[in-house]
Order: sequence, then structure tokens, then C-alpha cells
Amino acid sequence: MTKPASPAAHAPERQPTDWKSAAMQKRIRRRYAAERRFRMLGAGAVIVSAAFLAFLLVTMVAQGWRGFTATELALPLDLKAAQLKVTREQLNSPAADLALASGGLEEAVQNAAVTAFGPDGASFLAPSAWVWVRDAVKRDPSLLERRATINVPAATGFDQALTGDGDAAMEAGVARLTRQNAIRRGFNWTFLHESDSTDPVAVGIWGALKGSLMTMAITFLIAFPVGVLSAIYLEEYAPKNRWTDLIEVSINNLAAVPSIIFGLLGLAVFLGTWEIGGRVYGPMLPRSAPIVGGVTLALMIMPVIVIASRNAIKGVPPSIRDAALGIGASPIQVVFHHVLPLALPGILTGTIIGMARALGETAPLLLIGMRAFIVTPPGSFTDPATVLPVQIFLWSDEVSRGFVEKTSAAILVLLAVLLAMNGLAIYLRNKFETRW
Amino acid sequence: MLGRLALIAVSALALSSCDGSATREIRVVGSSTVYPFTTAVAEAFVNAKSGRKAPVVESIGSGAGIRRFCEGIGAQFPDIANASRRMTRNEFDRCKANHVDEIIEVVIGLDGVALAESNQGPKLQLSKKDIYLALAADPKGQPNTAKTWKDVNPALPAIPILVMGPPSTSGTRDAFIELMLEPGCKEAYPDAEKLKAGVDPAPYDKACRRIRDDGPYVDKGENDNLIVQGLAQNPNALGIFGYSYLEENKSRLHGVPVDGVEPTYDTIANGHYPGARPLYLYIKKRHIKAVPGLKDFLTLYTTMWAPNGPLVKRGLIAAPDKMRERMAERIELELALDPAELH
Repeated sequence: MTKPASPAAHAPERQPTDWKSAAMQKRIRRRYAAERRFRMLGAGAVIVSAAFLAFLLVTMVAQGWRGFTATELALPLDLKAAQLKVTREQLNSPAADLALASGGLEEAVQNAAVTAFGPDGASFLAPSAWVWVRDAVKRDPSLLERRATINVPAATGFDQALTGDGDAAMEAGVARLTRQNAIRRGFNWTFLHESDSTDPVAVGIWGALKGSLMTMAITFLIAFPVGVLSAIYLEEYAPKNRWTDLIEVSINNLAAVPSIIFGLLGLAVFLGTWEIGGRVYGPMLPRSAPIVGGVTLALMIMPVIVIASRNAIKGVPPSIRDAALGIGASPIQVVFHHVLPLALPGILTGTIIGMARALGETAPLLLIGMRAFIVTPPGSFTDPATVLPVQIFLWSDEVSRGFVEKTSAAILVLLAVLLAMNGLAIYLRNKFETRW
Repeated sequence: MLGRLALIAVSALALSSCDGSATREIRVVGSSTVYPFTTAVAEAFVNAKSGRKAPVVESIGSGAGIRRFCEGIGAQFPDIANASRRMTRNEFDRCKANHVDEIIEVVIGLDGVALAESNQGPKLQLSKKDIYLALAADPKGQPNTAKTWKDVNPALPAIPILVMGPPSTSGTRDAFIELMLEPGCKEAYPDAEKLKAGVDPAPYDKACRRIRDDGPYVDKGENDNLIVQGLAQNPNALGIFGYSYLEENKSRLHGVPVDGVEPTYDTIANGHYPGARPLYLYIKKRHIKAVPGLKDFLTLYTTMWAPNGPLVKRGLIAAPDKMRERMAERIELELALDPAELH
């Protein structure tokens, strides 16, 4: 601050800012308020999205955890008294199932339930209960000649009555069987190793999970090499001209094409038939199989992999290429010894994100027949199969109320697989990441 | 890397060429209403003898199912079509053009199109005429202005009309139109017969077959569970769905009586409830020899559709005894459908 000069010599001198004045204080307060508002807006956005995620997870876990539990009934059986028309020799032959089914095992199990649990006892058992008994007999043929108690699954209605959401007859049954101490609850292993069924207590996710894994394997085997090779060619070898520009634009467009279009493409190309010169050709691939699903999804995620890989390759500093070329490496050595290893974290991240998208995809698979009801898991890549999201879609449409919790449980399995894949992406990125 | 790629491509081709061999699984396509019954039979088929190839059942709707069924004879085409309505003459002709000529038609049982409301609902008693006047787009040729049930019939309470039902692609909706709306139209609108006999089908369709789209009818999509949930949330609403859903949700819903008849197993089986329709299977006779187990599968179906059988527990309404015997005979002797019966 200078001493005020004589008023005659200069024009009125500029006053220093008075930070203490009321007007200035107000402006400062407004600045700080704007800052706080912006920060709160950002935090609010994060809270809203976190709340949506939490809501989704909480509803799924609340509805789905029961899908992972099973209610079983301890059923006292006397198969000797039931006098099944089955011999031991038959049990060791491949026709054992048929022999037990036609030998009256199902009736014997129902009669045992009536004897043990009262006149409506048979309705407490799941329709598939006799299959459990059958498998137990096959494991241990001595069951045919003695009394034993076997745990069999309870009917859906019975399971619901346990939570107080069933009809009066079942509620009474629950009360009676609780007194008899015949109810067992435990982890539902069936859900993890069985496939689709019409009975909600007998369904499992394994068939769909295996279908998903097989489809993903095909998708990866096709999309990853083709996508990465295209990216290497476009970045390292292709001349920059109008044609490569056109290819770049097409790839970007393709990445944004709705997935249902790829389903129609797969339907027409892989499952279509052509008549050329009087001979009928096709279909190239079997309907509903993991191989056709995998090829279709590979077409869908290839552009995503190409774009991610190109960006990763672009991120490798030119000095590394120049240095390698300078000490006499051939272009292919430059690519495979230097560029590709350095670009790998980005390429892998892009690939896994693409694979996660393919894992959650339903629309194109509906068109190529992967929406079918199949009781056994696929044995090979050409067997009919279904995948996790389609299984969820199918169960959400089921009549029986027991499927509501199974649908949520299947969603939890899908989320767990997705989480594992994204976790792998983050791990790989951190492990291979290099800083220059 | 390239060598390994080529190996994968070759092995993939070798795998895919395995298809079309003699041991193909049974393939079924078609109606979502028949789907729960065919899947139950498919499951029992595998359970009866493990090692059997699991039948593949796809639910794509009756119309689409028959179209795929009719595409041809051979390993890549389905063996059985599920249908919640009868095959039309047009569809049969298209089948025949693709060399699918010997078709066995089987009625597996009946299904009821039920009107239902929540247990907390107003306990409506409707007639087919009330339903027609409340839901048709142009009852008696005039645009529908009814807002409450009282507008339709002064004896009904003054609560807003709100009916949740399936979309226009659904066979259930077709059956509802055919079994409830059209008979109601004929009762309420004397000119309907005249319109139907006319050369141009459009005026009859407009007056008797079109459902209003100005709000009171809510299209809830193909997922019938959404309708059930909607009814639980809105006690004043009615829902339209297959009888099996009503049976499954007995603790929350009850059927709405139509012309004084409630939808129950007995009233649908004896034909007193107006919304009963037969469910069909169509089978390619020439596939019976080619596909292993197809005949066993059909025979298993005949044992499961009996009145005390497992399909009835899932909501199917068993056909009368005479009809079941005739259908079992059709399967046993592989009697093909006479196209003259269709229209």
C-alpha cells in the first residue's frame, strides 16, 4: 500500500480490494456455496447409482437366497414289504432305470409317504422324489431288502408353507411333520449340479452354466485371435488411405449394431439352407448348440475387441518400435516381442469386457434356438444347450410359484460369474501394466 | 498360432458334421400354453431311462411353431408342433408344399381361458355381453366410451374397467376373442350375424373381434406371472390367462364367474364354462421311424394325460374318456390327419 498522493496530481487512485466489506463477503460466500453445490451434486450422482445397485442386489439376495436352500423330508421306506418286481441282476444292467420305473417304485414311494405322513402325505413329496429313491437304490441295492430312511425333496407347496405362504392343507402338514421331526433344511446342492426341470425343487443351474461356458469358449476362440490379428494389421501394417478409413468406420459402426441383428444374421447364415443347382446345402451348424451360439456372439463382440486392441497398440510408444527396429528386429519380431506384450493389458481388458457382454446376451440366442427346455447338460459343442440369461428368461415365465426364488438365485449366479470375469480383467490389467 | 487356429477350425467343422446322424434328439416347437405339459413329458421321458437323449422343447407360439414345423422333412426340422389352436387349412397346404404331408393330429386335453381377480377384489359377476361391451373397441359399431362396469351394466358396481391380458401375438388372446368376445357380440349386437355372413370380413372384425386400446385393456406381455402380480397390486383389476395359472395361484386369486359359471376344473371339462379350448400336438408321421424314441415319447404322453395323471396336476384339463381313447389309438396306429377336416 502506497501513501496517498496529492489529489491534484493523479486521477482517483484504485482502492485495494476490501475483503472485509459486506458485498465482497457475500461474493466469497457465493463462490464457496457454488463449490459445495457442485461437490454435493457429484456425490449425489454417485449415491443414486450406488443406491440402484444396492436395491438390485438387496432384492435379488432377499428373493434368491431361498433358492439356494432345499427342504427335504426324512421318508421311512420299507421296500422289502413293497415287493418290487426288480431283481439284483437287473439293477446291475443298463436297463436298471427302466426296471425300477416299471417295477412300481413310484407307487411304493407314494405309499410310504402316506404311511409315514398321513393320508395326504404323497402331496408333500416333490414329483421327482422317487427319482432320488431310485438313485439311492442304484447306489446301494441292499435297500431293496431292508427298512431305511431316505431324505427326499419336499413339494414346492410344502416349501412355501414353511415360510407361511402356502394353503391351509400344506400348513397343517408342516405343523404335523415338524412334530414328527421329519423336516430337514440344508444347502441346495441339486441347484448347483442339475439342469432345467418342470419342478422347481428339482431344477439346477449347472446345465445353463455349462452351456454358457461352452458358448463363451467358442466365442473366445474365434473372436480373440481374429480381433487381435485385425487390430495388429490395421495398426502396424495397413497403409493409411481411404480404404482403411472405410474399414475403421465400419468397425466402429458394427460395434454399435443392436445384438438382435447378429441373431438374425446367425439364423440366416449358419442355420439357413440354400438350394444351388438342384442340391440343398446347409444348415452349416446344428440349431440350439453352443457352437452356433458361440460363433454368433463372436461376430458380435469382434468389433469391440478390434477397437480395444487398436487403442492398446496405439498406446505403445513409437520409441520402443524404433529401438527394436534399430537393433535389427524384423517387423514381426517387433510386434510379437515388444508391441503385443506391452499392449496385452489393454487388449485383455477389452476382450473380457466384450466377453462379459456376450455372457449377458439373450436376444440373438433366442433367434438361433438356444431358448429350449433341455433336461440334461450339453455333452459336446453340438448338443442342444441353453445359457444363463436365457435360463433366467425361461424361469421368469414359468407357471409354478417356486420358480420366483429360483429365477433370483440364477440371477445371483450370473452376477457372480460376471463379477469374477470383471475381477479377472482388473487383476490382469494391474499385473501386466507397464508405465513409461 | 496360425497352425493352432487352423486345427481349431478343422475340429469345429468335424464336430459340426456329426449332426444329422441317425441318433438325433426329439425336437418340439410351438405354443407357450402347451409348453409346460410337453416339458413335463420330456422330463419323465428322460427320468424313465437315463442315457436317453433329452428332448428339446422350444416355446415360440402356436403360429410360429407350425410355420417351423412345416418347413420340411429331415433332421434339421422339428418332429412335433405344440399348438393351442387347430392347424388351419392354409397352414396344412403350406406344409404339403414342403413335402410334409402325413401329419398326425392329437388333442392332449383342454385348457380354459380364465378371467380372474384378486381375493380382495369386488367379486364381479359378469356375462359374456358385459365382457364384450366393456372390452370391444367398437361395441355395436360405435367407439367404446364405457369407463366403469356400471356404464356397461347398471347392476355392476361403479369401479373403473381395468383388465390385464396377453398381447395380440398370443394364442390365449385369440382364444379369449373367439370364446368370450364373439359370443358376447352375437348376444349384444343383433346385426353381428349379418355382418359375419357379408363378403367383407372387415366390419365384423371391427365390431366383434377387436379389443379396445384406449386404456381399460392393459397388455401385460407374454409373461402371465406379470398379470398375476398386477392383480395382487390392484384388487379392482381383472386378469385374463390360462386356467393353469389360476390353479397355481389359488391362494391369491379366484375365478370370475361368467354367465354364473365359475372357472373350475369340472366346469371347463364339461363345457359349461365358456372359455374352454382343446390343445393340440402335430407329429410328422415320417419322423416316427427316423427319430429314435419318438413313438415311446408319444406313448408316454398318452399315459400322462389321464384325469388323475401328472399333467392334470400341472393344470391340464383331461379330455373326455372317449376322446382320449381315440387319440391313443391315433398314436398307436399312426393315423394321419385328413385335411378335409380342417378349415
